[in-house]
Amino acid sequence: MKNTLALINELKEKKLIADYAIGGAIGVLRWVEPFFTRDLDIFIIPSKETKKGVIDLSSIYDYLKKKGCVWKGQWLIIGGVPVDFIPVDALEKEAVEDAEAAEFEGVGTKVITPEYLAAILLRAGRNKDLRKVEMLLAQASIDGKKLDRILEKYGLAGKFAGFRRKHDGKG
Amino acid sequence: MEKDKKIVIGNRIISREELFREKEKSRRDRSRMPFEKKIKALAELQKIARGWGGKKDVIVWM
Repeated sequence: MKNTLALINELKEKKLIADYAIGGAIGVLRWVEPFFTRDLDIFIIPSKETKKGVIDLSSIYDYLKKKGCVWKGQWLIIGGVPVDFIPVDALEKEAVEDAEAAEFEGVGTKVITPEYLAAILLRAGRNKDLRKVEMLLAQASIDGKKLDRILEKYGLAGKFAGFRRKHDGKG
Repeated sequence: MEKDKKIVIGNRIISREELFREKEKSRRDRSRMPFEKKIKALAELQKIARGWGGKKDVIVWM
């Protein structure tokens, strides 16, 4: 994991990406008790859009392949960890910009905050995503005002109210 | 009544409600573990999933 993050940091140093933050299950795991997952989701803000509406990640993959990283199924294996790179949309871009600095064995990184993770997962809406939202609400310190602002801004307030009604009779 | 049943753990006697409250507290305590420790715990879970759980495609993180 340490080497994985160090290599991902190189992408930013080499300006192959503008910024990144850990999201997905490992982002959630930062704020809740440990649980099983297979891969590391890295939300990236690309350094440029090559053509209108086209995000070309080739330079990232080329760089990492030169560093000895290999493909296994859908994942690129970086430092022994299966990694998915996810180019951000508007909500995720804001999440990366708001992400909290963290350290892993001396290597700096950024992790998406629980409020943005909850919004991203709620929007995705699969059962496994909603289970993570439940874990965040039960175990993480959530800033309610911040969460409400994000949900309102991205049209997710109604979905969240429905989720609360279904899962704990609130909302 | 089911609610009034007591659970004996060694020399402790607790109710089901207390047991579940303690479990919830433990979860919150584990949520505050350092990130590094959580990733080590995850690697152990991946080993279990691969070996005991028969998920041979799981990559155990180093």
